[in-house]
Amino acid sequence: MKLESTTALRFWIVNAALWSLYIAFNLLLTATYVGWISGVVFISVVLGVGMFVVSGALRAVAQRQRWFDHGAAALTGRVVLGVLIGATLVQLLIAVALWPAMAWHWVELPGGKADYRPAAAFSYWVNTAIMLGLWAAGWVGAHALRRARHGEIGRLRAESAQRALELDALRARLNPHFIFNALNNLRALINEDTERAREMVTRLSNTLRHALEHSERELVPLAEELAVVEDYLAIEGVHYEQRLRLRIEVEAAARAALVPPMLLQLLVENAIKHGIARTPGGGELKYSARLVPGRLLLEVVSPGTLESNPARRGVGLDYLRARLARLPVAGRFELLADGDLVRACLEIPQ
Amino acid sequence: MTARLRVVVVDDTRLARQELRTLLGAHADVDLVGEADDVPSGRESVMRLRPELLLLDIQLPSGTGFDVLDGLDPVPLVVFTTAYDQYALRAFEANALDYLVKPVVPERLAAALDRVRARLAVTPPTLDDARATLGAEDQVFLREGERCWFVSLGEISRIVVDGNYARVWFRGERALLARSLSALEARLDPAMFVRANRNTLVNLRAVKSVDPWLNDGYLLKLKDGSEVEVSRRQARELRERLAL
Repeated sequence: MKLESTTALRFWIVNAALWSLYIAFNLLLTATYVGWISGVVFISVVLGVGMFVVSGALRAVAQRQRWFDHGAAALTGRVVLGVLIGATLVQLLIAVALWPAMAWHWVELPGGKADYRPAAAFSYWVNTAIMLGLWAAGWVGAHALRRARHGEIGRLRAESAQRALELDALRARLNPHFIFNALNNLRALINEDTERAREMVTRLSNTLRHALEHSERELVPLAEELAVVEDYLAIEGVHYEQRLRLRIEVEAAARAALVPPMLLQLLVENAIKHGIARTPGGGELKYSARLVPGRLLLEVVSPGTLESNPARRGVGLDYLRARLARLPVAGRFELLADGDLVRACLEIPQ
Repeated sequence: MTARLRVVVVDDTRLARQELRTLLGAHADVDLVGEADDVPSGRESVMRLRPELLLLDIQLPSGTGFDVLDGLDPVPLVVFTTAYDQYALRAFEANALDYLVKPVVPERLAAALDRVRARLAVTPPTLDDARATLGAEDQVFLREGERCWFVSLGEISRIVVDGNYARVWFRGERALLARSLSALEARLDPAMFVRANRNTLVNLRAVKSVDPWLNDGYLLKLKDGSEVEVSRRQARELRERLAL
């Protein structure tokens, strides 16, 4: 709103300056070639004021009727018509103003009367139409340029917001705290249990590879997503040991359901980071998948309390929400406190 | 006989403690005397075992490593360990003796231990566990909002009552300590800290000048530019102390 009013103010100032200049130029020509004749001065001023009003009106009509939303041909047609009508109106204005001014001898013209023979009248009209046409071309060009720039900025803004979300999700997937802890645990595990250490290297490789090859696919079978989660939880199991107790309830039928990749993983990571890691003695992390008609219900439950600050409730939740909104039928996400548990519920239409 | 370096490790992950135990095993003069996995057990270990060095993880289940240090006196030398915690590390870079990122590189651990040995050589710890008062080289851990400091008692210029807490002035900074003034006074060396009035303890080393003041009292000017009034009641004690 504010932006629009500053744009409008700028337009009127520039437009007034432009047509004032036009009047000044006409007066200069008159003074140079025919001398100061009051009638010619009068016509020049009325012409300039008329052009100022008509050009402003043309802009107002173009904006009200959204001329720019139509194609180039439609826009051109409307502008040409607008210019022709505008030029006619300006000439009518001059004629109407000149008539009483001459009748009561306010102004004088050479020959004592205005020259309105058809050829002369036509040439006035053509001159006016050309000037107004030039003005309209300039205005349309400036307007189109501004629209293009705004469109570009809008596009870039949307693009950078999308990038920020993806970066957010990438950071969540390549959580450095997780990776370095896993490597540190591996160092100890190599001495303690070589077989298990070897298995963990494989699991960690899977997790990293999956994170880097962030699936370009819109949807993956839940079974695939569960494999990612299992690798991840195996590594966290080494870190938290008996502090991380798992309960997994996945219906066999649900495994074939299609889900956006990394969402369940994101919720499980948050459950560990905000729940298990912060609870002395750890706790139970439960995740479940159920298929009901038309929907897949995923739930992740962990000990903990809900952060009062929504911005700190977990990395990647903005990404998760954006991702759900992009589904053909939007999904739903809810994070709720349930006593000393936090419940993350995900609903994905099938 | 060379001096032994007694170390306590606080980390919530068993394997991480195991790893540090392995790495410390390479250093003949180091005794790993205790391990803890959370804030309360960490505090308890430090108070009971009085180690010279604490290897302290920053993220613990019921709080942070800083919570382990809050209110401990004296605070041992601390080397922080963390997997990845840029924010906390930045806050501590200037203050902690050192920090280690996990997985710990053996050479980095050796360098950190060298720094600890160098520090202990300058300010040897008092070996008397039963000793009731703290010396000038003993350090406390102070926190104010996001900032925190390890401060040796000799650096403190004065301590003033602030509600139920005590406000501590040091190095041109000030911070709140969650302890009453009388509890602090009981732990401080009376040869170093004297009570100037009901509200204030002053470090005699920080006093620049003593001038007579109203009601047979004194006005102490401190090196940090502040002024403290000494009540008549405390003036006599101060005279005796300064005469010594």
